[in-house]
Amino acid sequence: MRLKNMVVVAALLGLHLPTPPLGAEDQAELNRTLLRKIEELQQQVRILQRQDELAKESSAEKVKTAANVSIGAGGFNVQSGDSNFVLKVRGYAQADARFYFDDISPRNDTFLLRRVRPIFEGTVFNKYDYRIMLDFPSSVTTSAGNNGFVQDAYLNARFFPAFQIQVGKFKEPVGLERLQSGGNLLFVERSYPTQLVPNRDVGIQIHGIFLDDVIAYQAGVFNGISDGGSTDFDANDDEKDLAGRIFAHPFKKTSISGLKGLGLGLSGTVGNHEGTLRGYTSPGQQNIFSYLPSVSADGDYWRLSPQFYYYWGPLGIFGEYVFSNAELRRTGSINTIQAQHEGWQLAASYFLTGEDNSFKAVNPKKPFNIGDGGWGAWEISGRVSQINFDSSVFPNFANPATSARRATSWALGLNWHLNRNVKMNLNYENTDFDGGSGSPLLNTGEQILFSRVQFSF
Amino acid sequence: MKKLILNSALLLSLVTSLAAKDLTLLNASYDPTRELYQDINAAFAKDWQQKNGQKIKIKQSHGGSGKQARAVIDGLEADVVTLALAYDVDALHTRGKLIPADWQKRLPHNSSPYTSTINFLVRKGNPKGIKDWDDLIKPGVSVITPNPKTSGGARWNYLAAYGYAWKKYGTEEKAREFVAKLFKNVPILDSGARGSTTTFLQREIGDVLISWENEALLALKEIGKDKVEVVIPSISILAEPPVTLVEKVAKKRGTLAVAKAYLDFLYTEEAQLLAAKNYYRPRSETALKQYAQYFPKVELFTIDEVFGGWNKAQKTHFDDGGLFDAIYLKK
Repeated sequence: MRLKNMVVVAALLGLHLPTPPLGAEDQAELNRTLLRKIEELQQQVRILQRQDELAKESSAEKVKTAANVSIGAGGFNVQSGDSNFVLKVRGYAQADARFYFDDISPRNDTFLLRRVRPIFEGTVFNKYDYRIMLDFPSSVTTSAGNNGFVQDAYLNARFFPAFQIQVGKFKEPVGLERLQSGGNLLFVERSYPTQLVPNRDVGIQIHGIFLDDVIAYQAGVFNGISDGGSTDFDANDDEKDLAGRIFAHPFKKTSISGLKGLGLGLSGTVGNHEGTLRGYTSPGQQNIFSYLPSVSADGDYWRLSPQFYYYWGPLGIFGEYVFSNAELRRTGSINTIQAQHEGWQLAASYFLTGEDNSFKAVNPKKPFNIGDGGWGAWEISGRVSQINFDSSVFPNFANPATSARRATSWALGLNWHLNRNVKMNLNYENTDFDGGSGSPLLNTGEQILFSRVQFSF
Repeated sequence: MKKLILNSALLLSLVTSLAAKDLTLLNASYDPTRELYQDINAAFAKDWQQKNGQKIKIKQSHGGSGKQARAVIDGLEADVVTLALAYDVDALHTRGKLIPADWQKRLPHNSSPYTSTINFLVRKGNPKGIKDWDDLIKPGVSVITPNPKTSGGARWNYLAAYGYAWKKYGTEEKAREFVAKLFKNVPILDSGARGSTTTFLQREIGDVLISWENEALLALKEIGKDKVEVVIPSISILAEPPVTLVEKVAKKRGTLAVAKAYLDFLYTEEAQLLAAKNYYRPRSETALKQYAQYFPKVELFTIDEVFGGWNKAQKTHFDDGGLFDAIYLKK
């Protein structure tokens, strides 16, 4: 038996030892032993292979459930392994320069921080999105409502793409340019129609998209704010505004490539307002229309805004019209008037470097990089816009000597998107005013050069 | 304002009804029931459409029983669960508050529409001569069974072995020694029953697979009698895989009625026959008679009889620091 073991070991080790010849029975026994040993070894190999396989499966499972942390052009992202929990830290900052082409303007030529906005957004339990966006620009100071600092603070429950509920503070779904992110604007300052629609308000909105975004809708109940306003709470009345918008891309699913980027929409608000009213400003952010101190909103307040955009390759055009109706009263008077202001704009831009134009952020084909041949994306733009103030407000509700009846502006711009995160704007804008004979600014008009350096992440 | 609210409500109901058009149901089940529920889901969908004129799509999710229970507790929106053991379903109440404490009383037969037991699958010719549980602890016998910490089936396997030893040798100490010796012969612990079947059949590891009866019979059908044989031990355990409605999820998804109907369907003659056809022991005598060739009579003990119920068995044997940890870590 000892001899047999030696033979087996030698055989397994591949050695050829001088051994005495075996009988047939011994040979058969040796063969059986060898076979058994080989089978045992085979089993060991299979076990090791299977253990390796299971270890790999286990590692793959762990990778699936491990949190994923990333940083890049889109900011800092943390995502749970099952994608149910997401936190994104993003933000953008805009450093502007404004130069007025005369010394009449009450405003000084200045450098300023127009927007400084950290953004925290993400998802919890797969369907609940949240967003908190703060702002620390040059002109905002602390207030009881923190209105200027808290821009967005909302939760959106994505039950289905077609049915979502959003609650908190966010933009009312009305103005086309207002709904465009402050970081993706075509010009340094938004145009007149934006001043006639509400900005951010607190409320609840249902919204959704149908047919892969061929039709989008929003409808919500909000505190209700005056034109261009933004607020955290309703300090004026118990009434609420209903705001709604429907926007369609009727050719998105068709084969007509030239019309796929056409979007058409209609939005509006309806409600009842009381309380003070905001004035209106020029593109250079100078006051061009104010109500008299004794005037306040007291009654119906509604707005209507047809709007469109069209994007085809490097070309982009968008336009909107806003009609705003406010019932006004002077202190001590029982009579009211319906003040009906209107504004419109038509803007176009073209990417000289061939990028596809978009309502959203544009990614340069070749980011700017000296020595690497990349020049970023270059975009030229133009805009005409106008605001008309209702003549019935003069002279009892607004001073005709210091408030304009109409402002008409045209602007030219050059935008340089160095990469996805850095953008520079250079705008020239001219504005002519009707009315306001007592105001040097309104008499001579406004010519202004804007520049902006924007960094986003 | 009233008009506005009314209009908003109308819009809301319109959008909700459009969104709720597709009726779907998710059944979170354990590893070896894939084939069973493929058949049952098709039969139920047909039955539901005939009776209600509504199309329904039933989705399946399969995995280790304990893992599936955890997934539901962590947010997997399963309308119903059909798991390997009652302890895992209990967790939906104790840890998830998703179902009531008395869930097991809601359906007949302790909410187990079918049963199974544990037996052995060996290689053709039974080269190691395995006939009963005692043969599994012999030196040189390689036993394949999944990990009782992650697999419901594995817990049934473990308890079947333990119960056999306790009944045969009369003391808990002997029973412990028995399972300790048995797990010394286990070279690999898969996380689920289907994984162990793969280890034994596809990877050709081990001399014997301790298996659900249904899994062994399925393997016999698919792999062939020329490669494997089923061995029925002298004593085994009565496995009662339970089913239940996950009320909180079904209410939220608006599927309460259809989910209840789905579980009731499992007790119909049609579903009982499908269970038997898929090698699960049906509760229906008629179905059992029709498929009697699959289900030989075996002496079966229950978990209540030997272990005092699932909660006690879990705590003593499978909780962290329990008997299985002591046995396996020692190994």
